[in-house]
Amino acid sequence: MKTLDDGGWHRTSPWAILFFAAKIIKFFVNNAWQALAPLFAYVYASQQDVVTSLIIGGIAALIGLVVFSVLSYLMFRFRVGQNSIFIREGVLKKTQLDIKFERIQGINTKQNPVYRALKLVTVSFDTAGSAGSEGNLPAVTREFADSIRQRVSTVEKVTEDVEPTTDADIADLPPLLQLDWRDMIRIGLADRRALIVFAFIGGTFEQFQDTYESWIMAFATRMFASGADITAVQGVTVFVAIASVVVLIFVLLSVGAAFLRYHNYALYLDGRRLRSVGGLFTRHEHSMDLEKIQTLRLNQGIVQRWLRRYRLTARQAKSSDHNRASKSFDIPVVNDAQSDELRAILQVPEGGRLTQVPRDPSFQPVSAFYMRSILLYAGAFPALLAMLVTWPVVGARALIVFLWLVPVSLVAYRRWKRAGYLHDDEEIVRRSGFLGYRTSGLLFRKVQRVTIKQSRYQRRKGLATLRMQMASGGIYIPYIPQDVAMRLRDYILYKVESSTKAWH
Amino acid sequence: MFQNPEIPLEELPTAVDLNWHALDPTYIKLLRLQLGLFIIIPLVVITFVTREAGAEMPYLLIPYGILAAIAIWLYVFAAISVRHCGYVLRDKDMLFKKGVIWQSVVAVPFNRIQHVETSNTPFDRRFGLASLKLFTAGGSGGDLKIDGLPANTAEQLRLHILEKTGADIEDA
Repeated sequence: MKTLDDGGWHRTSPWAILFFAAKIIKFFVNNAWQALAPLFAYVYASQQDVVTSLIIGGIAALIGLVVFSVLSYLMFRFRVGQNSIFIREGVLKKTQLDIKFERIQGINTKQNPVYRALKLVTVSFDTAGSAGSEGNLPAVTREFADSIRQRVSTVEKVTEDVEPTTDADIADLPPLLQLDWRDMIRIGLADRRALIVFAFIGGTFEQFQDTYESWIMAFATRMFASGADITAVQGVTVFVAIASVVVLIFVLLSVGAAFLRYHNYALYLDGRRLRSVGGLFTRHEHSMDLEKIQTLRLNQGIVQRWLRRYRLTARQAKSSDHNRASKSFDIPVVNDAQSDELRAILQVPEGGRLTQVPRDPSFQPVSAFYMRSILLYAGAFPALLAMLVTWPVVGARALIVFLWLVPVSLVAYRRWKRAGYLHDDEEIVRRSGFLGYRTSGLLFRKVQRVTIKQSRYQRRKGLATLRMQMASGGIYIPYIPQDVAMRLRDYILYKVESSTKAWH
Repeated sequence: MFQNPEIPLEELPTAVDLNWHALDPTYIKLLRLQLGLFIIIPLVVITFVTREAGAEMPYLLIPYGILAAIAIWLYVFAAISVRHCGYVLRDKDMLFKKGVIWQSVVAVPFNRIQHVETSNTPFDRRFGLASLKLFTAGGSGGDLKIDGLPANTAEQLRLHILEKTGADIEDA
């Protein structure tokens, strides 16, 4: 393990057994239900008392854990080659894993208290975007980790990163977008939290109407007692006024939060890097390389529809570390024209000619059979099941569950109306939504995999669903003509496979 | 704003009408063996529950009958589903199709593959089979996994694909 270049197979330190034990325990905790079921069955089935059974079960589990951890350690081998690291592992399921150095984006080391005392680390390799099995080298020395890090960094080609400019420079750049106080109000109004509070008050008002009424009556009675002349109607008015004030306070709070976060917000293009600065007391600075953008998303909720504004989000590849959230760059408010202008800047040189404004007439609709699939899987099947289950208890009244089809039909219709797509020879935009709108745009050459999916029914109707997997997540276009889906698939493959540019 | 120049689509290589390679037929046996082992769990549960509940003969037929029907269906379905699977190795990508009712074809370009993995379970080894998994960026949802390949084919594919990945790509 001292040298990297001997090209032979290595084992890690025996302390790695701890790592494997932790991994096994983690696996069992994650699958607790399945893991514990046989144990419970055993406890229940055995005639001994529960404590004895648990002790025997515990001992068996412990022995299993130790044996498995030791075997895992013995089976774990790795070899460091000139350009890649090769890992072999697995007791029952044997796995060979190749990780090319050029694919490694970062090397993370972790240390638990025991490893810290022993001066060992667990190395994990961060490969861009892959959420699958990342390589781990448990319990190696820090020197070894450093030498691998060095090896990987020499393989990496020099990145052409634009040197980040200083604050003084940013002032010289012409802003792409600036937000003023009216935008702060828009951000505040569009804040979902205000809407949730509003919905909550509305919901509880209906649910506990009786309780409220009794409160109001009590309130009115007290007013009477104190000599004020007040009727029940006035009481309700007072209550509604109180509720409105609460909502108003929440709206004001979210507007306040918008000021805190986005006051004097400005967006700049610094070479090939997007930068934003804003905030009242704390200045929040964000930056993202244009090349790293995987998808551009334009979102419009109900309130934003009324305000005729959108939220534009540039989404980056998902990180393979444990908080699987995809990194993104948010531009909180834009209007139609700004979204198109920004899009043109963000997707150049190849793309940027399409629009992502959802009401644009150039969007092509998807097949109306899309409604049928929603009606069937979200409406008819669950309703039928519910009816069959409730029939023996309530009889023919079970038919009432078919009323469920009414809202589902509405949803299906809205979703179909909002589904659409448009593309040119470089990029594609997908539109979806139910109450609001969402459009997602992507460059063909950044696609990771393409899938065409067809149900029996779709095949009969000559339709297909196209799914484009991006490093930031999947985007699918449902129920388009089969030949269009296949042509698009072939074209996407051609664009990806003929592209020599990095996708991240 | 919106432009839609025509693309000479006829000139593009198409992924329709390909020579699909089938999975190893012994994979059907493996699936059936797994099914046989899996069915023991509901069998034990049903036996246990019916005995506890003191169920008598004509009613006993219902759970066992349902279980038997499911088992027979899965036994037959194993063969059907394996026959519907297939893969094609092309110069620049790999395609895999699967599904009986919901059919899907996944295409993974080699220059998007992060790493390649082959694995085999004890059952796989018993039948000389292995799984090949191609990892790309963007979540585990669609990492391409091909089960039921002959072990040496899986290894050959792994080496071949590994050679192909990462070629012609500039670094970020």
